Amino acid sequence: MPMPAPDFDLLLLAHEPLNLSSLIEHVRTPSDGAIVTFDGCVRNQSHGRRTLYLDYEAYETMAVAKMREIATEIHTKFSIDRVAIAHRLGRLKIGETSVFIAVSAAHRPAAFEACRYAIDTLKRTVPIWKKEYFEDGAVWADGELPRAPEDTATAKRAS
Amino acid sequence: MSDSAPAIRVKVLFFGRLKEIAGRTEDILDLADGAPIEALFARCVARQPELERYRSSLVASRNQEFVAWSTPLHSGDEVAFLPPVSGG
Repeated sequence: MPMPAPDFDLLLLAHEPLNLSSLIEHVRTPSDGAIVTFDGCVRNQSHGRRTLYLDYEAYETMAVAKMREIATEIHTKFSIDRVAIAHRLGRLKIGETSVFIAVSAAHRPAAFEACRYAIDTLKRTVPIWKKEYFEDGAVWADGELPRAPEDTATAKRAS
Repeated sequence: MSDSAPAIRVKVLFFGRLKEIAGRTEDILDLADGAPIEALFARCVARQPELERYRSSLVASRNQEFVAWSTPLHSGDEVAFLPPVSGG
Protein backbone atom coordinates (compact mmCIF):
# COMPACT_ATOMS: atom_id res chain seq x y z
CA MET A 1 0.00 0.00 0.00
CA PRO A 2 1.42 3.43 -0.86
CA MET A 3 2.43 5.50 2.12
CA PRO A 4 0.63 8.80 2.68
CA ALA A 5 2.91 11.71 1.89
CA PRO A 6 1.09 14.59 3.56
CA ASP A 7 4.26 16.69 3.77
CA PHE A 8 4.22 17.02 0.00
CA ASP A 9 0.52 17.74 -0.29
CA LEU A 10 -0.77 21.27 -0.71
CA LEU A 11 -4.12 22.25 0.81
CA LEU A 12 -5.12 25.88 0.62
CA LEU A 13 -7.91 28.44 0.66
CA ALA A 14 -7.29 31.61 -1.31
CA HIS A 15 -8.94 35.00 -1.52
CA GLU A 16 -7.03 35.74 -4.74
CA PRO A 17 -7.23 33.95 -8.12
CA LEU A 18 -5.62 30.51 -8.04
CA ASN A 19 -2.33 30.02 -9.85
CA LEU A 20 -3.21 26.81 -11.65
CA SER A 21 0.18 26.15 -13.20
CA SER A 22 1.93 26.40 -9.83
CA LEU A 23 -0.56 23.89 -8.37
CA ILE A 24 0.17 21.51 -11.23
CA GLU A 25 3.92 21.94 -10.87
CA HIS A 26 3.60 21.28 -7.14
CA VAL A 27 2.52 17.69 -7.81
CA ARG A 28 4.92 16.99 -10.69
CA THR A 29 7.87 14.72 -9.89
CA PRO A 30 10.20 12.64 -12.07
CA SER A 31 8.56 9.40 -10.93
CA ASP A 32 5.09 10.44 -12.20
CA GLY A 33 3.72 9.49 -15.57
CA ALA A 34 0.38 11.23 -15.11
CA ILE A 35 -1.12 14.35 -13.60
CA VAL A 36 -4.91 14.61 -13.56
CA THR A 37 -6.54 17.91 -12.67
CA PHE A 38 -10.08 19.05 -11.93
CA ASP A 39 -10.94 22.69 -12.57
CA GLY A 40 -14.27 23.71 -11.08
CA CYS A 41 -15.38 27.06 -12.48
CA VAL A 42 -18.24 29.50 -12.12
CA ARG A 43 -21.10 28.79 -14.54
CA ASN A 44 -23.17 31.61 -16.04
CA GLN A 45 -26.54 30.16 -15.05
CA SER A 46 -28.19 28.13 -12.32
CA HIS A 47 -31.58 26.42 -12.74
CA GLY A 48 -32.21 28.62 -15.77
CA ARG A 49 -31.44 31.92 -14.03
CA ARG A 50 -28.54 34.03 -15.25
CA THR A 51 -25.84 34.17 -12.59
CA LEU A 52 -24.00 37.46 -12.05
CA TYR A 53 -21.35 36.23 -9.62
CA LEU A 54 -20.84 33.93 -6.62
CA ASP A 55 -19.69 34.63 -3.09
CA TYR A 56 -17.87 31.81 -1.28
CA GLU A 57 -17.23 31.57 2.43
CA ALA A 58 -15.70 28.84 4.58
CA TYR A 59 -15.20 27.66 8.13
CA GLU A 60 -11.58 28.10 7.19
CA THR A 61 -9.69 26.10 9.80
CA MET A 62 -12.09 23.17 9.54
CA ALA A 63 -12.17 23.36 5.74
CA VAL A 64 -8.39 23.01 5.51
CA ALA A 65 -8.50 20.14 8.02
CA LYS A 66 -11.15 18.35 5.94
CA MET A 67 -9.17 18.94 2.73
CA ARG A 68 -6.16 17.35 4.42
CA GLU A 69 -8.32 14.37 5.42
CA ILE A 70 -9.31 13.94 1.78
CA ALA A 71 -5.66 14.03 0.68
CA THR A 72 -4.73 11.47 3.32
CA GLU A 73 -7.64 9.25 2.29
CA ILE A 74 -6.79 9.21 -1.40
CA HIS A 75 -3.18 8.34 -0.58
CA THR A 76 -4.43 5.23 1.19
CA LYS A 77 -7.02 4.29 -1.46
CA PHE A 78 -5.07 4.90 -4.65
CA SER A 79 -1.47 4.51 -5.85
CA ILE A 80 -0.82 8.21 -6.22
CA ASP A 81 2.13 10.46 -5.56
CA ARG A 82 1.21 14.07 -4.68
CA VAL A 83 -1.99 16.03 -4.15
CA ALA A 84 -2.86 19.72 -4.40
CA ILE A 85 -6.33 20.95 -3.43
CA ALA A 86 -7.15 24.65 -3.54
CA HIS A 87 -10.44 26.52 -3.11
CA ARG A 88 -11.21 30.18 -3.73
CA LEU A 89 -13.17 32.31 -1.27
CA GLY A 90 -14.89 35.66 -1.67
CA ARG A 91 -16.50 37.01 -4.82
CA LEU A 92 -15.95 35.06 -8.06
CA LYS A 93 -16.87 36.12 -11.57
CA ILE A 94 -18.25 33.87 -14.29
CA GLY A 95 -15.56 31.56 -15.64
CA GLU A 96 -13.22 31.91 -12.68
CA THR A 97 -11.86 28.77 -11.04
CA SER A 98 -13.46 28.13 -7.66
CA VAL A 99 -11.78 24.82 -6.89
CA PHE A 100 -8.75 23.12 -8.37
CA ILE A 101 -7.40 19.66 -7.67
CA ALA A 102 -4.21 18.14 -9.07
CA VAL A 103 -3.12 14.56 -8.46
CA SER A 104 0.04 12.94 -9.73
CA ALA A 105 0.72 9.23 -10.05
CA ALA A 106 3.04 6.83 -11.79
CA HIS A 107 0.14 5.65 -13.97
CA ARG A 108 -3.01 7.45 -15.08
CA PRO A 109 -5.81 5.19 -13.72
CA ALA A 110 -4.99 5.97 -10.10
CA ALA A 111 -4.66 9.68 -10.81
CA PHE A 112 -8.07 9.81 -12.56
CA GLU A 113 -9.81 7.83 -9.82
CA ALA A 114 -8.21 9.77 -6.97
CA CYS A 115 -9.00 13.14 -8.51
CA ARG A 116 -12.64 12.16 -9.03
CA TYR A 117 -12.87 10.82 -5.49
CA ALA A 118 -11.33 14.00 -4.10
CA ILE A 119 -13.76 16.44 -5.75
CA ASP A 120 -16.79 14.25 -4.97
CA THR A 121 -15.74 14.04 -1.31
CA LEU A 122 -14.91 17.74 -1.08
CA LYS A 123 -18.41 18.64 -2.21
CA ARG A 124 -19.90 16.48 0.55
CA THR A 125 -17.62 17.16 3.51
CA VAL A 126 -15.69 20.43 3.32
CA PRO A 127 -17.44 23.33 5.12
CA ILE A 128 -17.59 25.86 2.30
CA TRP A 129 -20.74 27.67 1.16
CA LYS A 130 -21.61 29.67 -1.91
CA LYS A 131 -24.23 32.33 -2.41
CA GLU A 132 -25.46 32.80 -5.95
CA TYR A 133 -26.28 36.33 -7.08
CA PHE A 134 -28.81 36.85 -9.86
CA GLU A 135 -30.26 39.95 -11.48
CA ASP A 136 -33.30 39.71 -9.21
CA GLY A 137 -31.91 38.39 -5.96
CA ALA A 138 -29.52 35.99 -4.28
CA VAL A 139 -29.76 32.50 -2.75
CA TRP A 140 -27.49 30.18 -0.80
CA ALA A 141 -26.80 27.28 -3.15
CA ASP A 142 -28.39 23.91 -2.41
CA GLY A 143 -25.77 21.75 -0.82
CA GLU A 144 -25.12 18.42 0.82
CA LEU A 145 -25.39 17.82 4.53
CA PRO A 146 -22.20 16.17 5.77
CA ARG A 147 -22.71 12.91 7.64
CA ALA A 148 -22.08 13.05 11.36
CA PRO A 149 -21.53 10.14 13.77
CA GLU A 150 -25.14 10.44 14.93
CA ASP A 151 -26.34 9.09 11.59
CA THR A 152 -24.22 5.98 12.01
CA ALA A 153 -25.37 5.41 15.59
CA THR A 154 -29.02 5.73 14.59
CA ALA A 155 -28.55 3.27 11.74
CA LYS A 156 -26.92 0.76 14.06
CA ARG A 157 -29.71 0.99 16.62
CA ALA A 158 -32.29 0.50 13.90
CA SER A 159 -30.69 -2.65 12.51
CA MET B 1 -28.50 25.95 33.72
CA SER B 2 -28.22 23.17 36.25
CA ASP B 3 -27.24 24.18 39.78
CA SER B 4 -25.11 21.07 40.23
CA ALA B 5 -22.83 21.30 37.21
CA PRO B 6 -20.19 24.02 37.01
CA ALA B 7 -20.58 26.57 34.26
CA ILE B 8 -18.50 26.33 31.11
CA ARG B 9 -17.97 28.85 28.36
CA VAL B 10 -18.13 27.78 24.72
CA LYS B 11 -17.85 29.56 21.40
CA VAL B 12 -20.46 29.00 18.72
CA LEU B 13 -19.86 29.96 15.09
CA PHE B 14 -22.42 30.77 12.38
CA PHE B 15 -21.89 30.40 8.64
CA GLY B 16 -23.88 30.93 5.47
CA ARG B 17 -27.57 31.54 5.92
CA LEU B 18 -27.28 30.89 9.65
CA LYS B 19 -24.90 33.81 9.95
CA GLU B 20 -27.47 36.01 8.26
CA ILE B 21 -30.26 34.81 10.56
CA ALA B 22 -28.16 35.10 13.70
CA GLY B 23 -26.94 38.50 12.58
CA ARG B 24 -23.42 37.69 13.76
CA THR B 25 -20.56 35.34 13.09
CA GLU B 26 -20.07 34.03 16.62
CA ASP B 27 -21.37 33.95 20.16
CA ILE B 28 -19.87 33.12 23.52
CA LEU B 29 -22.34 31.23 25.71
CA ASP B 30 -22.26 29.77 29.21
CA LEU B 31 -23.69 26.30 29.83
CA ALA B 32 -23.55 23.53 32.41
CA ASP B 33 -20.46 21.36 32.05
CA GLY B 34 -21.27 18.33 29.94
CA ALA B 35 -24.38 19.86 28.41
CA PRO B 36 -25.06 18.37 24.96
CA ILE B 37 -24.70 20.34 21.75
CA GLU B 38 -28.48 20.09 21.42
CA ALA B 39 -28.78 22.25 24.56
CA LEU B 40 -26.46 24.83 23.08
CA PHE B 41 -28.60 24.98 19.95
CA ALA B 42 -31.68 25.47 22.14
CA ARG B 43 -29.94 28.44 23.75
CA CYS B 44 -29.26 29.91 20.33
CA VAL B 45 -32.90 29.36 19.34
CA ALA B 46 -34.01 31.14 22.50
CA ARG B 47 -32.06 34.18 21.32
CA GLN B 48 -33.04 33.81 17.65
CA PRO B 49 -36.24 31.75 17.26
CA GLU B 50 -35.99 31.62 13.46
CA LEU B 51 -33.02 29.23 13.80
CA GLU B 52 -35.36 26.44 14.95
CA ARG B 53 -36.75 25.75 11.49
CA TYR B 54 -33.26 24.93 10.19
CA ARG B 55 -32.49 22.32 12.87
CA SER B 56 -33.19 19.31 10.61
CA SER B 57 -30.91 20.62 7.86
CA LEU B 58 -27.86 21.32 10.01
CA VAL B 59 -24.92 19.24 11.09
CA ALA B 60 -23.04 20.05 14.28
CA SER B 61 -19.29 20.28 14.69
CA ARG B 62 -17.24 20.39 17.88
CA ASN B 63 -13.62 21.49 17.66
CA GLN B 64 -13.78 21.14 13.88
CA GLU B 65 -15.07 17.58 13.75
CA PHE B 66 -18.58 16.54 12.76
CA VAL B 67 -20.28 15.16 15.86
CA ALA B 68 -23.62 13.88 17.12
CA TRP B 69 -26.04 16.38 18.66
CA SER B 70 -25.80 14.48 21.93
CA THR B 71 -22.05 15.21 22.23
CA PRO B 72 -21.27 16.74 25.65
CA LEU B 73 -19.55 20.10 25.73
CA HIS B 74 -16.63 21.24 27.80
CA SER B 75 -15.07 24.58 28.55
CA GLY B 76 -13.36 26.18 25.59
CA ASP B 77 -15.08 24.06 22.96
CA GLU B 78 -15.69 25.62 19.56
CA VAL B 79 -19.05 24.58 18.13
CA ALA B 80 -20.61 25.31 14.78
CA PHE B 81 -24.01 24.53 13.30
CA LEU B 82 -23.31 23.95 9.65
CA PRO B 83 -25.80 24.23 6.79
CA PRO B 84 -25.49 21.84 3.82
CA VAL B 85 -22.10 22.50 2.26
CA SER B 86 -21.86 23.80 -1.30
CA GLY B 87 -18.21 24.21 -2.13
CA GLY B 88 -16.80 23.42 -5.51
